[in-house]
Amino acid sequence: MRPRLSRSVRSRLAGLGGLAAAAVSLLAAPAAAQVVELDLNNASFHEPSTTSQMTVHNPGATLTVLPWDWLTLGVHYEADVVSGASEPVKAGPLSSPDVISQASVTDLRHLVSGSFTLSRKNTSITGSYSYAKEEDYKSQAFAVIAGTEFLQRNTRLELSYARGFDKVCNVAYPPNRDPTVRTPLDSSKGCFTSDAKRQQLDIDIDTFGAAWTQSWTPVFTTQAMLSFGLLHGFLGNPYRGVVIGASGQVAQEHHPENRARFAGTLKAKYYLRGLDMSVGGSFRGYRDTWDILSQTYEIEAERYMLPWLRLLVKGRFYNQTGALFWSDDYTGGEPEYGPRGQYWSGDRELSPLKSYLVGGRVLASWKGTREQRLAGMLLDFSAGASLDVIQTQLEDFTLAGTAPDDTTAFVLGLSVHGGF
Amino acid sequence: MKKNLVRAVIALGLVGLAAPSAGCATVRPEQRSILADPVMQFESESPEERQLEHVLENREGSFGGGSVKGGGCGCN
Repeated sequence: MRPRLSRSVRSRLAGLGGLAAAAVSLLAAPAAAQVVELDLNNASFHEPSTTSQMTVHNPGATLTVLPWDWLTLGVHYEADVVSGASEPVKAGPLSSPDVISQASVTDLRHLVSGSFTLSRKNTSITGSYSYAKEEDYKSQAFAVIAGTEFLQRNTRLELSYARGFDKVCNVAYPPNRDPTVRTPLDSSKGCFTSDAKRQQLDIDIDTFGAAWTQSWTPVFTTQAMLSFGLLHGFLGNPYRGVVIGASGQVAQEHHPENRARFAGTLKAKYYLRGLDMSVGGSFRGYRDTWDILSQTYEIEAERYMLPWLRLLVKGRFYNQTGALFWSDDYTGGEPEYGPRGQYWSGDRELSPLKSYLVGGRVLASWKGTREQRLAGMLLDFSAGASLDVIQTQLEDFTLAGTAPDDTTAFVLGLSVHGGF
Repeated sequence: MKKNLVRAVIALGLVGLAAPSAGCATVRPEQRSILADPVMQFESESPEERQLEHVLENREGSFGGGSVKGGGCGCN
């Protein structure tokens, strides 16, 4: 006797059967793409100062798989290996130099992320997730980017949204404790455990973006980008103390809990046929509710020195104003030194500064074909090396009246790419 | 405040005027060989650029205006 199935069960089975058939047909579909790409890279940052000697190594690996024309999958890993020294207490010119001391810093940060991109003829949508962890900080971020091309693919528009959920370790002081008597975190010991002396504080980050890329002529293209971001939560450095009293009273850095920021960037590239070289320039303007206003100017030129060898040179100038509540010394009186409202900071990145960068990169690349692969297995291969030198000019930041000497940095980058 | 508003309106107007003109400047597919070359791509998402951006984010106050990524607070 055949068992009788109700209409709803039959309907569900039919649906499942349809899904299974679709899945089988999808898996059995001819693989038009089937490309695997592997990127390995490392950036090493070094500040050759007499005090901090900060060194950071940032190795990374990305695996990208294109099983079909319409799908791209990616996984990425990177680490930050930090060693050096920093000043845990920020004092200004009115304080004794004895306040300034050095504390050694070692840290290790891991970041993993995954992404997928669905593509149709002229549209694509990308979703990604990333997770990063270090001893005193955790972060998670989701992002989605949708893009479309039209006008014979001369115009591309992209919209993006990203949401970050970060957590930072801090001293477990009661919420109502006055900020002027909060002490800085002395170490990461006990962070993200049940240690009653530690707490974790949230940082929420929302970013909205829009980009418009336009090809104007066969040798001229531009890109305009707008970005709006909101940060909410503990936005200071829990380790940093700031001298806020004439008697040498030190309190943990105290920043506003909200920050809204807006950035607009315009880039252009032009190909000089006579020189077989591309030249590019960009301008970025930035403003936030902490009253930091910045401008970034970049220029670059890149050309093929040999059919397989590219050389890129670039320059960058950055200029910013200080945050509204920035002061090099919070112990004096207006106007030069003294408090600026209810917040205090020892963060040099919130002080007025200028930054200069010059850099270059050489990149060697070779292409094979499906029939004639490089070394019998590679569709393409490239290897690159870059060097960037950054000089920062701090206009109003001192350590007890002495200008810091860790203002020059070198960044050496190495990268290898292979397509299989 | 009023001055800023006027500037914003003028900027939006210029963008509005420029956008339709994009349609008059189309590049035909067979003319795209140079534009498709790597030297004409905007490389903001390349590994090298991301790593340099990561360094600059930790040295400048206007970090992250272009994207949100997981990352440390630059505490140390």
